[in-house]
Amino acid sequence: MALIELKDVSKLYGFGDATTLALDEVSLTIEENEFVAVMGPSGCGKSTLMNLIGLLDRPTHGDYQLRGRYVSKLRTGQRAKIRRDMVGFVFQSFNLLPRMTVIENVALPLVYKGVGVNRRIKQAATMLERVGLKNREYYYPRHLSGGQAQCTAIARALINNPSLIIADEPTGNLDSANSRLVMELLSDIHKMGNTILFVTHNPELTRYATRVVYMHDGAIVHDEQTAIGEVASTAKKIIFTVPTKTEEDDLAGVSALMKAVPDASDVKQDKAEEKKTARKKKTKTKAKKRGGKKDE
Amino acid sequence: MSRITRGNVRMALASVRSTKWRSLLTMLGVIIGIVSVVMVVGIGEGVKNEVANEINQFGKDLITVRPGAARNANGKMVSNADLLFGLNSISGLTEKDLQTIKQSEHVGLAAPLSVVSGAVTAGGQPRANSLVLATNQDLPGALNRSIKYGDFFKDDDANGNFAVIGKHVAQSLFDDNVPLGQSFTFRGQTFVVRGMFDEFKSTPLSPVSNFNNAIFIPYQTAQRLTGNSVQMYSILAKPDKPENTRSALNAIDSHLLKTHGGERDFAVLDQKDSLNSSSDILSLITTMIAAIAAISLLVGGVGIMNIMLASVTERTHEIGVRKAVGATNRQILNQFVLEAGVLSLVGGVAGILISIVGVYGLRTYTDLKPIISWQAIVVATLASLIIGVVFGAAPAVKAAAKDPIDALRHD
Repeated sequence: MALIELKDVSKLYGFGDATTLALDEVSLTIEENEFVAVMGPSGCGKSTLMNLIGLLDRPTHGDYQLRGRYVSKLRTGQRAKIRRDMVGFVFQSFNLLPRMTVIENVALPLVYKGVGVNRRIKQAATMLERVGLKNREYYYPRHLSGGQAQCTAIARALINNPSLIIADEPTGNLDSANSRLVMELLSDIHKMGNTILFVTHNPELTRYATRVVYMHDGAIVHDEQTAIGEVASTAKKIIFTVPTKTEEDDLAGVSALMKAVPDASDVKQDKAEEKKTARKKKTKTKAKKRGGKKDE
Repeated sequence: MSRITRGNVRMALASVRSTKWRSLLTMLGVIIGIVSVVMVVGIGEGVKNEVANEINQFGKDLITVRPGAARNANGKMVSNADLLFGLNSISGLTEKDLQTIKQSEHVGLAAPLSVVSGAVTAGGQPRANSLVLATNQDLPGALNRSIKYGDFFKDDDANGNFAVIGKHVAQSLFDDNVPLGQSFTFRGQTFVVRGMFDEFKSTPLSPVSNFNNAIFIPYQTAQRLTGNSVQMYSILAKPDKPENTRSALNAIDSHLLKTHGGERDFAVLDQKDSLNSSSDILSLITTMIAAIAAISLLVGGVGIMNIMLASVTERTHEIGVRKAVGATNRQILNQFVLEAGVLSLVGGVAGILISIVGVYGLRTYTDLKPIISWQAIVVATLASLIIGVVFGAAPAVKAAAKDPIDALRHD
């Protein structure tokens, strides 16, 4: 059984003349323990897709099954509970509560699960140790670096042991060193058996993913399997041509990416080829990966 | 609920602490409301207590007979207000009634009280506002009072021109501390002061306040002066032994009923009844003022609602984050209701503490003796909590209804 199964899911905003089609009959199946990167230009529906999968939003049309359960028509309260137990969110802007300490932020989802104070603190401390922030427990978020804040947010996402982590541009506000820190952490979590969905503009980060999904104008235009440790082949075409240091570079990279994406008609062919090569490479790259990262 | 509140009470307190000034100003309305209600009720209780003490100074066994029914058609006690305006006293008591009471079983003493109208002249100067009461030799015994100087009139000089005065009359009429032997003119007759009462304990609002300002003359003398037209407004009786109070009261009641031809146009009251009728009117006044004070509590509630609404808007992003990590609408609702409740409760407790200080101040610097009962504290605490919850509900509903995605986008 697939973890996520979207079937012809559409999302419309507004009404009448002002209707915007944010998602256009998207079908997507994600298995357990996949590490999926979602790429695409701004406004292509990446975030809407993430919100739908994370049960923050409802599709206008179509079916959504989360681990075999139809969840799009559930009541708000039940969706909140599923969100609490099965989904962990990581946001671009961290979204930590500024008036709470790091450990209180991490323990927040447990409050809504009804866990007692002592157990909350204990579990949050364990989780902070896992993300390497044991000595920052009683700091406030404003005292943390961007990377530390994002690690705190990841610890918060993990505290309820969710099977799915949704990260919407988790490295968008971070420099390259902190980006690497955060991605390594997500990669470790992936190895523990979690499924991770992340949105990125940086082709370099597809290195960590097992699958890359390209979106444009609310539709998935390309979907390729990729080996861990290697930049996805489509993304590769632009990677060394454009530096990715500022937002403008990012956007330029995105336009380059869109040029690199093959036409929708080629998708099926490409997919078949990718799968073949991916399987072959997988065994080789695992050994390479460690070495490759150190070189960075 | 309990599992949710456990975490949220701490969060709510933290939230109150983190915005100290704003919280204080928000609570101010509740604080003022609680202080005014608690103080007013406390002062009312204090006065009631004082009145009870005053009434009890005459002894618990004093029986008061009044004209007019003490209970109206509904069986409710007639309050002092009605007696004050004479709404139910159609006729006074008569000398025959006094004799009947005197002859009832277990009755030891019986003293009439009648107001004799007329101006008092002393030292050639007419004095206004002098109250002349006609009574007999049983009065000091019935009132449980001793004569401080001189003597009360006896049986054998019941028809003489003698007077016994209250303490304040000595000053106002004769400008003398012990005016024994001094004389004054009343209805063309010269009266000699024979004795002076010790001071009656009294405060404003008490029914016996005027005994200190009264001149007592013998009943027969008054009858002679007015041509037998004096009416008794009250007869005070005492049983022979304190434990016989109840039976004396019943005896008086049945005998009077017989002589009045079965018409209950009089009232026989023991001290408890007198106390009830006077504390009824005090309770009424206290309740009225407290109700007005409670309006400020309501205004405090509106203040809380206002601030909570602002707080919800300000914390929209936080609400989004909380929803994203799995908070249900109900949990968000609970959080904000609880926060308003805690805010209001802290204000209420602060108000109670200020009231206690205020009561201490009043007791130290004024004649009032306010009392704060534990009931008042419990009610004030609950009231502040309820106000917080009621006025916090609307902002909390608004918070709970926010869409998580919009809320997350909000800065």
